[in-house]
Amino acid sequence: MAAREPSRYLARALPRTSVPSIRPQGFLSRRNVSDEAPARRLSDHLTELESASSLSTTVPESAAASFDPLARAAARKNQLPRGRYQFRSPKYNRGPLHPHQPPPPSHPSSRLFVPGPFSAPRAEQTFDSTVSPDIMTLCYVHTPPGFKPPPKSARLREWDDSSPYHKNRVLRGPRGGDVLRLLRKPIKFNNIPEIERITIHSYVKNAAAERNSSWLHVAGIAVQAISNVRVETFKSKSNVAPWGIAAGRDSVAVKAELYGENMHHFFGKLVDVVLPRIKDWEGVKGSSGDSSGNITFGLIPENVALFPELEINYDMYPPKMIPGCHITLHTTAKTDKDARLLLSAMGIPFYGKIVN
Amino acid sequence: MKSLSPALASLANVFKIPMSMAPVRPSIARTCHETLNRQTQQPGPVTAALQSAPFSTTNAMAARKGKGPVVDKRITLIRYFLHHPLTPRPLRFSRNRYLRHWTIHRAWQLFRAQQRRKHELELMRQYQSMQEACEELRTGAGDGGKLFRVSMNKKGIFTDMFPIEYARMQTDSPPSDGWNYDWKKPGQK
Repeated sequence: MAAREPSRYLARALPRTSVPSIRPQGFLSRRNVSDEAPARRLSDHLTELESASSLSTTVPESAAASFDPLARAAARKNQLPRGRYQFRSPKYNRGPLHPHQPPPPSHPSSRLFVPGPFSAPRAEQTFDSTVSPDIMTLCYVHTPPGFKPPPKSARLREWDDSSPYHKNRVLRGPRGGDVLRLLRKPIKFNNIPEIERITIHSYVKNAAAERNSSWLHVAGIAVQAISNVRVETFKSKSNVAPWGIAAGRDSVAVKAELYGENMHHFFGKLVDVVLPRIKDWEGVKGSSGDSSGNITFGLIPENVALFPELEINYDMYPPKMIPGCHITLHTTAKTDKDARLLLSAMGIPFYGKIVN
Repeated sequence: MKSLSPALASLANVFKIPMSMAPVRPSIARTCHETLNRQTQQPGPVTAALQSAPFSTTNAMAARKGKGPVVDKRITLIRYFLHHPLTPRPLRFSRNRYLRHWTIHRAWQLFRAQQRRKHELELMRQYQSMQEACEELRTGAGDGGKLFRVSMNKKGIFTDMFPIEYARMQTDSPPSDGWNYDWKKPGQK
């Protein structure tokens, strides 16, 4: 993309490999991927396997004679807990001062422990092996060694002490509005933007209108089916008179938050199965996004029904009750343009004017 | 307590962990079958005769007024599965079995940490080679840094972005061409 006419310059540049450069040692001793291209055959892999089984090794007589687990257990100063003992994580959180504290959620005895992941999602593998190095390369900005960027002025401005009331006043916000935007740092190998979590949110306007909960139940189980995550329900925050919705009274929305394995599987289904089958879909609007790296788009009920989990079992859902939903892709990018670059590399098209 | 995902429930099913103190949960297929059949059964001759001359007229009156509790059977099923308690109890093992479990768990976490570290180092290596190459291009190419300036041009990256053909998820065995346009349904000519 960058080098339009590289051949002439390359021809001039190539013989320079023999000329000593600034840091010849580092350059020459560097390992490159092209250096190691071993043509591995199946037999090479087989030779890595151990031929002998560890179960067939013989135990020396002395070791067998000295093996006396009962005596060893009796000689212990502090007895182990009984064999059937198990630590039970407390059922309720009684605060940090209670002696019975739950183990961390990564511990197998924790009540929040989720085993896995048990699969390697395609979206994750594609991102790790292809997309992340490419984004790093595309966003690379070279700075000479020893370069220090000029210091920027403070984001929160001081008050000019023209008035005695400025003393101890909180600092002024940035120019042009009080919103303090996220700081975008140059993208390096350790802050390549990636998808952090996905939120599926569905506002069911009929949930209160017909005075029955079936709309919300069907929406909840449909979102659960496509996301593999238990949904949360939310009450309305505002009155909507035409739909008969009162704030704080009616449960009107369901939400599922996807992380990790669930998230990657859902993203893979979205990009591979659902989005390509939407009729006349142009893509995600270029102005979508909250200017801190989270992109939202919506799916109408017909599109939600395209998810394979709903489609295969379509008869079991009342067709008019299948919900539409908003899908928010939260990325670790700090600006929308980085998030869009990432999502376009992962297969989400954008249309219209790109607004950052 | 936090409710856990249906994936856990299926895992519990696979590992034969009983999920509640209640008696054995009826299977999904049986529940569906029963619910669907409950209202579609054709009444036998005796039942039909009884229904034609019932003792109570409540149901008939309600049906005539259109106020009968008519709930879609599918919604009944959806409510059943939505509200069924699916939270498995935590793992309970004896000491040795727990130790085995813990060892495998720690080894798996360690393995994943090593993989992450390896990937991060690989990215760092790529970044540093890029840095070296750009520095060489800037100072040593002998063209006054023109090639370097061209290579640093970011025009179109954030507006054109990646072409959509780039975004193809990896597969185990990708075909050379993505779609077989000549494929016909086996029955068709």
